[in-house]
Amino acid sequence: MIYRRLTALATRITQQFLRDRRTLALLFLGPLFILTLLTPILSNSAPPATLALAPSDTLSATFAQQLTSHLSSSVGIALRIVTPAQGTRLLHSGDIAGVLIFPSDFAQQVQSAHRATLQLQVDGSNPAIVKELQGVTALLVGEMNQALLTPASAPAQLTLAPLRYFTGGPNFTPTDALAPYLIGFFGYFLIFLLTAVAFQRERTLGTMVRLVVSPLRRTELVLGYLIGFLRFALAQALVVLLYVLFVLQVHVRGNVGWLFVVLVVLTVGAVNLGIFTSAFARNETEIGQFIPLFIVPQLLLSGLLFPIKTLPVVLHQLAYLLPLTYANFALKDIMINGNGIATIWPDLLVLLGWALLLAGAAAITLRRERI
Amino acid sequence: MASSSVQSPTTTAVVPPIRVEQVVKTFGRLRALDDVSFQVQAGETFGIIGPNGSGKTTLIRLLLGLGRATSGHVFVLGHEMPARSVAIQIGYMTQASALYTELSVRENLAFFARLYGLTGAQVRQRIEETLALVNLSDRVDSPVQTLSGGMRQRVSLAIALIHQPRLLVLDEPTVGIDPELRHAFWDYFARLNREGVTIVVSTHHLDEAARCHRLALLRMGTLLAVDTPAGLRQSSGEQDFERAFLVFAQRHEPLAQ
Repeated sequence: MIYRRLTALATRITQQFLRDRRTLALLFLGPLFILTLLTPILSNSAPPATLALAPSDTLSATFAQQLTSHLSSSVGIALRIVTPAQGTRLLHSGDIAGVLIFPSDFAQQVQSAHRATLQLQVDGSNPAIVKELQGVTALLVGEMNQALLTPASAPAQLTLAPLRYFTGGPNFTPTDALAPYLIGFFGYFLIFLLTAVAFQRERTLGTMVRLVVSPLRRTELVLGYLIGFLRFALAQALVVLLYVLFVLQVHVRGNVGWLFVVLVVLTVGAVNLGIFTSAFARNETEIGQFIPLFIVPQLLLSGLLFPIKTLPVVLHQLAYLLPLTYANFALKDIMINGNGIATIWPDLLVLLGWALLLAGAAAITLRRERI
Repeated sequence: MASSSVQSPTTTAVVPPIRVEQVVKTFGRLRALDDVSFQVQAGETFGIIGPNGSGKTTLIRLLLGLGRATSGHVFVLGHEMPARSVAIQIGYMTQASALYTELSVRENLAFFARLYGLTGAQVRQRIEETLALVNLSDRVDSPVQTLSGGMRQRVSLAIALIHQPRLLVLDEPTVGIDPELRHAFWDYFARLNREGVTIVVSTHHLDEAARCHRLALLRMGTLLAVDTPAGLRQSSGEQDFERAFLVFAQRHEPLAQ
């Protein structure tokens, strides 16, 4: 009997979906469209910043030569040599992100005082790049100090150890890093939105009262919606995943099965959040007004746009309260680090807890007196 | 719509399908229902008549188990409400047609039939029967969004009847539909009464009142009178229901004017 009611509800939701071409397009083509857009944007978004070296005399020119020829390919930013005057001009025009200026009497200072102070000038508009430049500059200065340790008048040969990769690899692209986050986000956001709108429509059309006066229980209503929406959430995840794997050629190291387990639990939470939210909206437009409240914070804090560790302390802690954060941990662990259940189970547990909490909240909004 | 055309069904010894006893329902300081008591007999059409805001919908919601009386008792089909166990014996319809517009007539009916526990062959049979009753058999595969307002209301009634309920609760079912269809609806109700279905119907169309077996006049949460249409005409001394209503309102609260 319960099974019959659940399948009735799930079947109805499936029928409604299949009739609604706009929603189907949103669900399946939307993510692909955005992913396709993001790939070139991401590969262009961080053109290697350029650091200019502005030598002043023969010694500093030699250093600059050595540094640019040996380090240019490995420090992650481009190095070039300019005159001090050029440096200021290029910094102004935005062609370079920073310029390392050698003092005009560099060689003399090194020889007589055994010390010299170099000046780094940067375009301060992008703090991330400034940090990067500072890091690279420290590296350059370190290399030069090493060279100056040898008491010869000519600088020693500069050498550099081969680069080591901690995560990813030489073929690692920004899309690879983002794919886990995007798969999680699309699942969560679109399923939340569609459930909330579907439930809101049940209320405004009056079919909700019909459901509530029928033998259907509240838990069955929530479960039926879950089953109906899970079908589409998983189909969506499959389409996105196939697209990501074969069209965008993103690298996935882990087991795709675990990926689906994470998405199922995440979707359960999204459906319940949608049901809960719909109780506070009088029409479909007001559902849209909840997006800044329920979705945007998760978009900002869950690690998709900014690494969680770089967030200010308060936001950092807030990020650890949000379900999408844990979904991202798990998805990233699977896709980039190639881990399985042994690593992701705590994340799954948190997601499950969230899903249950939201189910409870959803059930409260479905009390018969409130309908 | 002469009152003589309506025969009150013979009262039987069985427990009346609906008993409302001294029901009070408050929302904050508002007394939506104030000491309301009445009974509805099996197989009759019982009208709840009153202006907007008189408490009709609140009363209907209590009969459906959507909420609990602040004090007093509501018994429906032998159970004190709210009780989910009687849900399967109640059919419900309201002025909003409440259909899934992207689905076909058949899909809408099949969905609700299955919610009430009907299976394969039963579902098909009841869809045929109910659509035949409301004269919509030829539109079974039409998407609801292609149907006129009147047709949608007929589908809505078919849904309310799909599981052969013993009690039909109708909240202003004929609001916004044309006179011809309204007439047809009252013919369906009479036919259902003959099959033993008890109907409770709320309306603010006083001209529909004459087609009920008995009427409850509701005003500002209080029951002014419960009687047959003929009885109400006689005790008020007015032939017109609108005037009769005013006579009772005046008697109940003479200073209100």
